[in-house]
Amino acid sequence: MLQSIVSYGLAVGAVYALIGITYNVMFSASRVFSFTAGMLGMLGGVLGALFINKLGMNAVLAFLLVLAAGAVLGVITEILTVRPVLKSIEQHLYVLSTLAFALMIQQVVAIYWGTEAQPFPVLVPIDPNSALSIIDQKIWLPVLACIVTIVGLELLYRRTLIGRAFLAIAEDSYAARALGLPETQLRIASYAIAGMIGVLAGFTGAQMLLAYFGNQAILNFYGFVPVALGGMGSNRGAVVGGLALGLFQQAANFLVGGIFASVAVFAVFIVVLLLRPEGLAGAAAARRV
Amino acid sequence: MPVSRRQVLAGSAVSAAALASGFPAPAIAQNEPIKIGYLPALTGPSSSTGVGINRGTQLAVELVNKEGGIKGRKIELISRDTQSDPTKAVNAVAELTQRAKASMIWGPLNSGEALAATPLIARDKVPMLHPCWVDSLIDVKKYPMSFRIAPTNTQVGKGANHYVVNVLKLKKVAVISDTTGYGTDSVNTYVPMLKAMGAEVVYTNHIDAANPDLKPELLRMQSAGAQAIMPWSVNAGFLSRICNTRGAMNWDVPIVGQTTLGSGQTKALLEKPEYWNKVYSNNFRNCCYIGGKLPPRAAEFVERLKKDKVEFGDTLLWWVALGWDGAMMMAETFKNAGTKNDDIVAYMNKVKGWPGIYGTVTWTPEQHNGFPDQEVVMCEVNSLKDGAFNIAPGYSS
Repeated sequence: MLQSIVSYGLAVGAVYALIGITYNVMFSASRVFSFTAGMLGMLGGVLGALFINKLGMNAVLAFLLVLAAGAVLGVITEILTVRPVLKSIEQHLYVLSTLAFALMIQQVVAIYWGTEAQPFPVLVPIDPNSALSIIDQKIWLPVLACIVTIVGLELLYRRTLIGRAFLAIAEDSYAARALGLPETQLRIASYAIAGMIGVLAGFTGAQMLLAYFGNQAILNFYGFVPVALGGMGSNRGAVVGGLALGLFQQAANFLVGGIFASVAVFAVFIVVLLLRPEGLAGAAAARRV
Repeated sequence: MPVSRRQVLAGSAVSAAALASGFPAPAIAQNEPIKIGYLPALTGPSSSTGVGINRGTQLAVELVNKEGGIKGRKIELISRDTQSDPTKAVNAVAELTQRAKASMIWGPLNSGEALAATPLIARDKVPMLHPCWVDSLIDVKKYPMSFRIAPTNTQVGKGANHYVVNVLKLKKVAVISDTTGYGTDSVNTYVPMLKAMGAEVVYTNHIDAANPDLKPELLRMQSAGAQAIMPWSVNAGFLSRICNTRGAMNWDVPIVGQTTLGSGQTKALLEKPEYWNKVYSNNFRNCCYIGGKLPPRAAEFVERLKKDKVEFGDTLLWWVALGWDGAMMMAETFKNAGTKNDDIVAYMNKVKGWPGIYGTVTWTPEQHNGFPDQEVVMCEVNSLKDGAFNIAPGYSS
């Protein structure tokens, strides 16, 4: 039982963490909470299955194309749904614009792909008798993707000039602009990166979650929980929150089961937010006086 | 010349008297096609059933018209695709009953749309025939002109319960569902039925269909001593996960349940083909292979389909047969009772043992559910050939 809780919990938690990071990367660059994160996760699975199962591409080429599609969708999200509402961000119009865009894409997927879950292929051919097959790849693949993503982002933000520019925009966009940083281009780049991370979550988690249009709503919600738990904008917090959510959800599956597992997750989520509204890793906002 | 109100009233009275006394209708009406308002879901998420039923319906109508129609009158199917959307079905009802003046309505073919459309068709007093399973769709007091040519959900559950308890002789059963209305209603209805049959329901639960790992659920069923799993859901992802988890656990209890267990979508999601072994889904005796052969009526029907080069390898025989039966039943009704609403209902109220391809139909004034219990059977889902399955092991031939 413990092995199943840990393995499945970490795998699902890694997918949630990646969606949480997707939310964060978009939020840091624009202060906009884009509800397209779940859509990107859903598309990672659907596009992967489309390219590999239906069009017969090999897994590597399909993976690269899925990443490219994620980047393009990220850019489209920024141009169509975020940029027009930035001037009146305090009115939270982005909730409508990003959600509407995500729902539109989901309907297109439902019409052309179908509303039934479809299979996602095994990506890495492993001999079932080899030592590597001890842990199923649907378990380790999303965990590996999560590790690579968080390490990559840390290196990008801490070790590169462009990464520091991203941080500067996230910290204070007015000051960064005053210093001559190209805010718009950096925001577009952030959305492209977020798009790639979102589809990566869906692509690596699709052996477990299947290629299914309905994953959008699930990922949108369960991906939001780690952000709320870990603190908005904190990628490390999202990873910790995502993995904790996955483990807790799987433990609840074993201990209470059925719909009560979801109830348990929501109950803990509400309790944590009541106790620490700024999230586990977030700092309480100072009030101007 | 001006026409006075008195003259108009007098004319109307004469016309009404002529109609009441059986004055011959104008010749043009006798040659007009007989209109059937038809509400299939040909697109959208619930369309696979509609597409299959439509194939049989179109074929039957073509045949009737080719052979001269009903006393010289052709049948005209006025088809409106509901797109699997109850709102569209409701909009189409008004058009078919009020503007097109359909003599009868065939459909909607899905319960969700039928639940919305049936009260409106009943309000417009147009006879209605449908193949939907939700029990509440037939009520002779509320909907006296509505008839069902398929089993009810209760009959479907009864068929599965009978197979587990009386044919497989298993007494400890796990009954689960997804969290949809259909799933939860099914569990709530079928569990008391199982208990009444003497079975012990050792585990029951409603599970989120999106849950990627069902191992905890199956472990609980196993430790409760379940000898059979009965899942009630139309979600292929959920059902395939049950099969996959059972296979990965090397647990060989039978899985017995709804028709989606045997669908192509469920098959596509299996991790190994052998995970479909010992899985039995609802089906219908007249459309199953029994001892390697179809029953005579269905065999003859399949020969006809092959001769007419009708493709049915991509659909299910019982869907096509159901469409055929629906259209043939209406054609026979028009032939024997004409097209007046009350005459149609009076005729259908007396149908007894009508030998359809899909099933044998009997209606009475008190009972508009026409499908016999004994024709609801289970089949082996891994035996699909030419749109039909083998009857599950254990039934007498």
